[in-house]
Amino acid sequence: MTATASPDPSTAASDPPQVAPPARVRGAVVEFRHVTVRYAVDRHGSPAALDDLTLVVSPGEICVLVGPSGCGKTTTLRLVNRLLEPTSGQVLIDGQDVAGLDPVLLRRRVGYVIQQIGLFPHQTIAENVGTVPRLLKWPSDRIRRRVDELLALIGLDPPRMRERYPAQLSGGERQRIGVARALAAEPPLLLMDEPFAAVDPIVRERLQDEFLRLQRTLGTTVLFVTHDVDEAIKLATRVAVMRQGGRLAQFSPPGELLAFPADEYVARFLGADRTLKRLTVMAAGDLIRWGTPADGAPTGDAMPTVSAIAPARDALTAMLTSSARAVVLTDAAGRRLAVATLNTIAAALAAPGALPAPPATAAASGAAPLGRRRDPSGGEP
Amino acid sequence: MTSTEPLVRWDWVLGHADEIWQRLLEHVTLALLAVGIGFALSFALALLVRRYRRLRTPVTRLAGVLYTIPSLALFSLLVPVTGLTPLTAEIGLVSYTLLILIRSVLDGLQSVPAEVRETAVGMGYTPWHLLWRVEIPLAIPVIVGGLRVATVTTIGLVTVTALIGEGGFGYFILQGMQRFYTTPLIVGATLSVALAILADGLLVLTQRWVTPWARPRGKPA
Repeated sequence: MTATASPDPSTAASDPPQVAPPARVRGAVVEFRHVTVRYAVDRHGSPAALDDLTLVVSPGEICVLVGPSGCGKTTTLRLVNRLLEPTSGQVLIDGQDVAGLDPVLLRRRVGYVIQQIGLFPHQTIAENVGTVPRLLKWPSDRIRRRVDELLALIGLDPPRMRERYPAQLSGGERQRIGVARALAAEPPLLLMDEPFAAVDPIVRERLQDEFLRLQRTLGTTVLFVTHDVDEAIKLATRVAVMRQGGRLAQFSPPGELLAFPADEYVARFLGADRTLKRLTVMAAGDLIRWGTPADGAPTGDAMPTVSAIAPARDALTAMLTSSARAVVLTDAAGRRLAVATLNTIAAALAAPGALPAPPATAAASGAAPLGRRRDPSGGEP
Repeated sequence: MTSTEPLVRWDWVLGHADEIWQRLLEHVTLALLAVGIGFALSFALALLVRRYRRLRTPVTRLAGVLYTIPSLALFSLLVPVTGLTPLTAEIGLVSYTLLILIRSVLDGLQSVPAEVRETAVGMGYTPWHLLWRVEIPLAIPVIVGGLRVATVTTIGLVTVTALIGEGGFGYFILQGMQRFYTTPLIVGATLSVALAILADGLLVLTQRWVTPWARPRGKPA
């Protein structure tokens, strides 16, 4: 049981293999134009699985589709690689209507990961990861190099893993192989349908962090389906909240979503603790301009220090357990920047200026603004 | 036959070594041809049934009917048409393999996990790739299961074809029955059983060899 959860020491200890850092890809633009899907149940207007969806996903963005089951999020995903055809409307990738593309060739250009992963049990890990390059008839030595590069990228030791079969891996390892396989042919777009839902919470958290790091390295556009609000908030550049009947309720960056839910449904879906969730997407550094100068503030246990790049939630936690009900915010070099109290947090939450930068700039630069996300590994350069 | 007569006279066995070898070759050929042709037919029929689903009931029903015909009756019915030839024997033997083999191919293909099929299609496998590189390899354990049953059954059934002049080891059994002589009867029956066990073992080994992924292997710590 612990084999799944604990990091494998031999993997962690091995040096990074001698492979060049992977090239960034140019993330694709995905556009849904008035897309409706009806499954023909009866001819008297069956309920729509997806109702007039219009949505544009920017290059390099992680767009998370979230909602209760039956809200059409998986349907939306399957339209993109034409596992499903819309009843009406268009789906475009980089301006091209997918209806005009050969589905088989289209699917080789778009990564696809599902919850059950679906690794091929009769193929080794190397063969599994090399699936799409093989379909694309890459030369075998190029496939081999790519497989090793990907295994190293997801933190699995290539010589140790290459010749194993999926049945010999832990759940977390299989999940990572599934992601590696989807990324093998450097797709500009990755579709993920609840990829981390089947693993235990500790492994899930690690996989999410790794995935964020990977996505930031590669710049791939990602469409990600989940029913887990926290996962959506953690991973998304923008969250598309969907509701029963396949309608889009709101499409916003996580901070904006939590601060300004479009309606009662979205607010309820986000949960009663959405203010606390806002503090997880806000950086402690965002509290600085609402705080007081740190000069002369006490040091030590009375007033603990919190790094500015930590989530604001960490500042709150430290505050509640300190005797002074206050913390000192510090920069990376340990310089003391400001003192924050509960009132500081309240002021920051109430201020419109505390909202994150508009998503367009965040996506275009490829980098998350300060505090938009938790730093996954603590080792991000 | 007196009580002093032993069940098996070993001098008969030694004296007939050449003939036993001949009958072994005949037995193996008859069985191999039957299972080979039966498998090829079943495989093609199974793929056809998968493609055109409404053929499933008629095909499996026909194979089922063939399977229920008593072998003695089937061979006797065929003799006026195809004569006392190996062809007559093969028609009968092949017919009896169809039900088991069609079922095992269909079940094997059915046993491929849905998520494996889903991701294969989602990654850009054509239906042809999907069948040959994913579904058939994964169906091998179930298909080999069917092949084992069909092979063992056929090896036993070959002995019945002695009645129409074929029979492999069945020839000795028939000889023993006609002459009230236990030695050839027991030798024929024993060798037939031994051959069935050997063939079954070979199939098990072959399956292990071609499906290395299904081999139980410990996870290295």
